[in-house]
Amino acid sequence: MRRLVAYPLVALGLVTASLALASPASAHGYVSSPPSRQALCASGRVTGCGPVQYEPQSVEGPKGQRNCHGGLAQFAVLNDDSRNWPATSVGSSVTFNWVLTARHSTSSWEYFIGGRRIAFFEDGGRQPNATVSHQVSLAGFSGRQTLLAIWNIGDTPMAFYNCIDLQIGGGGPAPSPTASPTARPSTSPTARPTARPSAQPTVRPSSPAGSPSARPTGPGPGAPAGEWAPGTAYRTGDEISYQGVRYRCRQSHTSIVTWEPSYYTLALWLPI
Amino acid sequence: MRRIKFALAAAALTLLAACGTAAPEPVAYRPPSAPEAGATFNSTDVMYLQMMVAHHTQGLELVKLARTRGTSEEVAQLAGAIEVTQTTELEVMQGWLTGWGEPTTAGHDPNAHASHGGLPITGADEMAALRKATGGQFQTTFLNLLIGHQHNAVEMARMETDSGLNEKVKDLANRISLSRTEQIKQMLGLVAA
Repeated sequence: MRRLVAYPLVALGLVTASLALASPASAHGYVSSPPSRQALCASGRVTGCGPVQYEPQSVEGPKGQRNCHGGLAQFAVLNDDSRNWPATSVGSSVTFNWVLTARHSTSSWEYFIGGRRIAFFEDGGRQPNATVSHQVSLAGFSGRQTLLAIWNIGDTPMAFYNCIDLQIGGGGPAPSPTASPTARPSTSPTARPTARPSAQPTVRPSSPAGSPSARPTGPGPGAPAGEWAPGTAYRTGDEISYQGVRYRCRQSHTSIVTWEPSYYTLALWLPI
Repeated sequence: MRRIKFALAAAALTLLAACGTAAPEPVAYRPPSAPEAGATFNSTDVMYLQMMVAHHTQGLELVKLARTRGTSEEVAQLAGAIEVTQTTELEVMQGWLTGWGEPTTAGHDPNAHASHGGLPITGADEMAALRKATGGQFQTTFLNLLIGHQHNAVEMARMETDSGLNEKVKDLANRISLSRTEQIKQMLGLVAA
């Protein structure tokens, strides 16, 4: 009897599974360093980005565009130059590193500044390696620039778009990586501690009650005597409380939500 | 051996009974026990767990390799914490599958899904790329590989939360999705530093 019921479920499961398996095909890659705008959103360094913070790898649109968001309305924030995007200080030659979540056959990689193509890497339809890096010369450019990096897919009409804000060359000693380009009041919003455990809309562990979301954290001295908090650098031997129980840290780490004491983290936190 | 176990169980029962009649005492803290999955599940739960067993195993290979090479202390600590927590998750998932009488690995090559977009970067690809990386490039390569790997974990969790049946498996998928998203945040900070 059970078997009779199970068959249609199996069939259904296979259908949904193949749909789900196909979904990564809509998610492929982005530049992680120097950080692209979507990487800044996903790292929490820039907040209020909307859905791109959960899928920085999905900024995909038809080839041939010269914008930061691939023409996708839900990612339009990436194209908004008025948002004080922090710029990374770089020299005249930069290595751009990509995170890939799917290795699609690749036509080419292109890099633009101000409408001028400054680098082009032809892959001729090959599948890229698991990671990709390109060294690009920025000779002739200085100051604050927004670079557009594009991954052109080989077997589809689509491409992936990344804007990367750079502060190029001899801008003085250790220029602030958050050099503000615009007239915004310079209370940099990027300096804010990345405390909130960014509630991912659909996703939240159901068990741990009393989410520590309200705590201001930031990688601090560890507050060893206090309550467990995310974003804290804990050292072996630190003691904390969590839901009324004391724990001792067994292995140094910087905490994240889901690494609070539980069965899954017994190797990090020993009840005492 | 079996007899000893039985004797222990009997002794435990006796103790429990004794406790039941004794005056209430302060409740001693009991370490959490492994989560139980229950007996109700569908094929998505099974497939998700099998895929994640494979994915976790690959992730563990990556972080263990990172331990043998030069990385910053922050990266080493992150890799270490991922290793121990993911090891526990792996044991839980294998335990659930075994409890259901299901194999802990999918019966076929995971690359079978590649044709329709699944499991896009294999563990072998990742390991090969990481072994090849040297010097200062090692840490960057490691972080970029692991970021991509954990993005894939988030994508796979969606399959379970959308069409899985077992609440415990869905909880785990939620946990994995949230945990990996937070790990990605840390790693993006480290790779851009």
